[in-house]
Order: sequence, then C-alpha cells, then structure tokens
Amino acid sequence: MAASPSKLSELALSEERTARWLLVPTFVILFCLAIYPLGRVFYLSFTNKRFASDQAVEMVGFQNYRDLLSVTVRELPKKLDENGQPILKDGKPEYELWTRVLPREPRRYRAAWEFDFFGKRYVIGATNADFIRSVWDTIVFTIIAVALETILGLMIALALARRFFGRGAMRTAMLIPWAIITVVSSLIWEWMFKSDRSGLFTMLLNRLGFIEDSGQITWLVNPALQLPSAIAIDVWKTTPFMALLLLAGLSTIPKELYEAANVDGASRIRQFFSLTLPLLMPTLSVALIFRTLDSLRVFDLFQIVFGENRYSMATFTQFALVAQRDMGLSSAVSVIIFIILFAFAIFYMRTFRVEIDD
Amino acid sequence: MTKQRNRFFDNFFFYLLIIIIAIYLLFPFYWAIVSALKNESELVRTPATLWPQNPTLQNFRAVLTNQSFLKGIGNSLIVAGTTTILSLLVGSFAGYALGKLRFRGKQPALYIILAMTMFPQVAVLAGLYSIIKGIQDLDKNIAWLSWFDVPTTLLLVFAYMIFTLPFTAWVLTSFFKGLPTSLLQAAQVDGATYSQTFWQILLPLTAPALATTGLLAFINAWNEYLFALTFTLQEPNARTVPVAISQLSGKIARQEPVGEIMAGALIITVPLVILVLIFQNRIVEGLTAGAVKG
Repeated sequence: MAASPSKLSELALSEERTARWLLVPTFVILFCLAIYPLGRVFYLSFTNKRFASDQAVEMVGFQNYRDLLSVTVRELPKKLDENGQPILKDGKPEYELWTRVLPREPRRYRAAWEFDFFGKRYVIGATNADFIRSVWDTIVFTIIAVALETILGLMIALALARRFFGRGAMRTAMLIPWAIITVVSSLIWEWMFKSDRSGLFTMLLNRLGFIEDSGQITWLVNPALQLPSAIAIDVWKTTPFMALLLLAGLSTIPKELYEAANVDGASRIRQFFSLTLPLLMPTLSVALIFRTLDSLRVFDLFQIVFGENRYSMATFTQFALVAQRDMGLSSAVSVIIFIILFAFAIFYMRTFRVEIDD
Repeated sequence: MTKQRNRFFDNFFFYLLIIIIAIYLLFPFYWAIVSALKNESELVRTPATLWPQNPTLQNFRAVLTNQSFLKGIGNSLIVAGTTTILSLLVGSFAGYALGKLRFRGKQPALYIILAMTMFPQVAVLAGLYSIIKGIQDLDKNIAWLSWFDVPTTLLLVFAYMIFTLPFTAWVLTSFFKGLPTSLLQAAQVDGATYSQTFWQILLPLTAPALATTGLLAFINAWNEYLFALTFTLQEPNARTVPVAISQLSGKIARQEPVGEIMAGALIITVPLVILVLIFQNRIVEGLTAGAVKG
C-alpha cells in the first residue's frame, strides 16, 4: 500500500523538525564557546584592554597588529679599528651590536635573530622580537617534528604490518606514549634532559666517552639545543599515534594487489612507491592535517620545558594574557594564530582534495 | 642453504628492529618508574643509575599526602567526568540527527562539526577568560547573587566542551551511520516515535561506541592544560591534576622534587594506561574512525 504524497511529506517534515531540535543543543553550546568568544577576541584585538585593570578601554585600530608584525632586516656593519680595517677575532670579523642599526623611532626594534648571508651579517629586528621568534620557532618545530613523525610512523607501521610473534604486544606498547598525558611526558623528558650526569642523556654520552665527567649539556637552556630537544619529545609522544593510523590504513589495502605485483616481478621498493604509498595517501593526508594543526598550537610541551625561556605561538599568547596582562595584544596573537592555522588547513584540503562523504 | 641463512639474518634484523622500537617507546616510562623509586640522594647522584640501589616508596607516600595533588585528582575526576557525560549526551543527539535522519542543511552542519574538531583553543583564550571573569565578578558584585559562588570547576567543564563536544558528535555520527536503517524503519512501522526509537533501540546498540568515545573524551579532558592553567590562576582550589603536578612543591626535597613528580606522574598515568590497554582494540577503531575509510 503506497502512502499518499501529503502523508510522505508530512513524515519528512517531522523528521526534519526532529533533526533540527536534536542539533540545537550542540550548536548553541558551540556558539557560546567558540563563535562568540572568537568574535570577542577579534574585537579585543583592536583595543588596548588590559586584564584586571580599571584603565578605560579604547579602540586602538591596528596598533596591536603593528606592534606584533613590524619586522625589518638590517645589515650589521663590521667593527673597524682606527685604520678602517675590520677587527678580527679568531680569524672571524667582529660585528657591531644590533642596537646601532635597528630603528628606535617611532617604536623601538629589538633583534629577533642574526644570520649570515653571502659573507655579510644581517639582523632581523622586530618591535616584538619574542613574538616573531615564537612564530618562526613554532613553524620550524612543526615542519621538522611532523616530517620525522610521518617517516618514523610509516616505518613502524610497515614493520608491524607483517605477522610476527609478539605483534599484539607491540601494538599495545605503542599505545603507552599516547596514553601518557602531555604534561607528564614533558616532565619525564625534562628530567631525562637534565644537564649534568644525573640526567639520562648526559650520562649516556659520558659513558660513551663523548663528554668529560664534569661536563654538562644544557639540552633545554642552550638555544641551539632547545628546538631539537622539544622535537625529540614531541616525536616520541606522537609517532605511535601516527603509526597506528597508518597501520589501519595499510590494512585496508587488498592483499591481492601485492600478489599480482609479485607475479609481475615488481621489487619491494617498486611495490612501496607504486602501490603502498598511493593507496595510503588518503590516510596519510588526514593524519598530516591533524598532526600539523595540532603541532602548530603546541602549548603543554613548551610551557613545561621552557616556561618563559622560549615561546611557541600558544605559550606566547598565554604569556601576553596572564603575565603581561595585555588582553588586546594577546587577542591579536590569537587572531594571527587562527589565520595561520586556517591557511594551513585550506592549503592541505586543496592539495589532498579532502572530502567528507555523506 | 644460503637461502636459509638469508632468512635467518632477515628475521634476526627484523626482531632487532622491533626490539629497538619497543625500547624507544617504553624507556621513558621505565625511567619514570626507576626515578620514582629512588631516594633523594640517589636522584642527584652522578652518574645516574639505571636501577635504584635502595628502592623506596617515600616519594609515593609524600605525593599521596600532598593536599594540592590530591585536590587536583579530585578536581580532574569531577571536571573530566562531567564534561564526558554532558558531551556524550548532547553529542549523541547530534550524532543521531546527522547519522540517521534526512534534513536540509545536513552537509553544512557536518562541515561545521568537523571544522570544530580542529578548532584551536588558544584562539579563544582571551575571549573565554573575559567571559569567565565576568561570570565570577558577577556573583561577587551583585548582592543577591553573592551567596552563590560559581565554582571554577564548573566553568572549566563548559570550557572543555569546546573540544570534547565536536569530537563526540563527529565520532557518534559515524557510529550511528553504520547502524542498519532497516531497524529504524521497522520501529517506525511499529509506530515508535523518534524519541522511543532513540532511547530504546539506538542507544542500547551504541553503548559500546559510547564507552569508547567517552573514554577518549575523558582522556582529552583529563589531559587539558592550557585552559586549566589559565583559568585557575587565582583559584588554587580549582586546579586540575596536570596543573597541580607541574607546580608540585616538594615535601622532602628542597629543590625540584623530581622523585615526587615522577611518583605523581605514575599515579595519574597508570590507571589511564590500564584503561587504554583494556579498551585498546576499540580505541584504535575510534581513533581511526574519522581518519580512515574502510
């Protein structure tokens, strides 16, 4: 017996009404927690609002953004002696301090970092050197960490795709770094990175004869070692997750394809590049998106091991808010982070053509 | 003969690789256990020992009598537990609608939920903080509200739903989608209402999915540090355990109480690790649900 058209559409309408009502709570909550605060952050970023202060709030236009994003590159002149010859120290020329070349008016620029290029030395100056450095550090951290995690994760996944004795135990072991909360894993690694020989890594290097008994390695204080140490911690924490995702992706590739490839005499390496990798691409791209977006907003790790010695974008935002009590500036940083993350997300979606099927 | 030997070497190197991976994954955890069992003098001894010479439980005793640590565990249980239950409840409504019902505007709704799962919390930090401050000041400044003190833990619960709710809604959508539609049609033919279908047929069927999703949401809320650190700045009594452990001040040690931190780390990690190991197969499924199309 066929239902009459009006009856059908009535059913469809009531289904639609039910669905709308079921979605109301989720969207109301998300509006209150995300959209409204985001709008507020956007508004605050154009003000000079200070946290816990009675100072009148004024609109300051793009002042906060100018403060954060003003960057300049200047060449550092060599130090000259009375005869106009460069002063050499250990065969290398000495350079003037950045205070000589960076502008002071209308706002004071500070050195973010210096670099050599074609035999000349340059200094990057910024009105907010900490922020510019935090953006650069976070992006470098993300690119290197995610690349290492992907390669290591893929290797582990390929190893575990084979059937062998103890495979179940290995899969279990892989969940442990993931299950340890980030604050705790950062604390454990901070302890392993202790600079003297009571720290694990310094002790091991000492045992292997690389450093003396009294030697110290300031893993988390030496600026050259800070990012590599942070990357090591992040890679340990997230590689297993990457490997598990890729393992699940690998298991969806039909075995017959490999049998056919074997019959055709394709080498293992050839099989990997023309079979495994292309078929794994959907999984790989989703994993890359998640990891990149996660890594760009890294907070826990940097806050625990570096505190205020070295910032990620997120720890800088929090520092500007609670330590400097500068709500306007902190909000502007939030907006910039949001834009950077959005740009990365769009870039990935375009590159990999990610679609959700309904 | 040579082929067999090749096979042997192949296997040997393969297992060597597996063992190296296993050591890499587990060693930091081992190091935390060893450090927690060492006494203060052995912790600062150089060179570090790979095994405690005089194992002691004093670090565990110290941290288990540390009020701020215990308070932190209590707060975390309340915050993460409440967040999880609320997110499952609200998320299952959304999941049912998005997974099983037909309506106009479904595609944009799905996109919004998916986008929200990747929403950066740090982007709303100052905005949420000013709202939370506003609520806290409200009941301080308005006379007839002053008896009512909005607990900061409750505010944390709401703040945490920014990341747990999109997650539960998204995962439950895919679970509901996987349930056979014929079941719903049968119920409809029998004259069941939507709410009857939801409560009596769909919900029992998704109970395992709810458990897994709930565990993952709980872990996420239990781990959260940015909001917890920022919003409890002036409310030491509302601090959750990640904040408490990172600010642990020692009872025994005068310097940084590493032994106690490691002991505390194990106390809050081991139950979670055990739960994860029990549910491991479901967790891997849950984690990969959004990422891998079967």
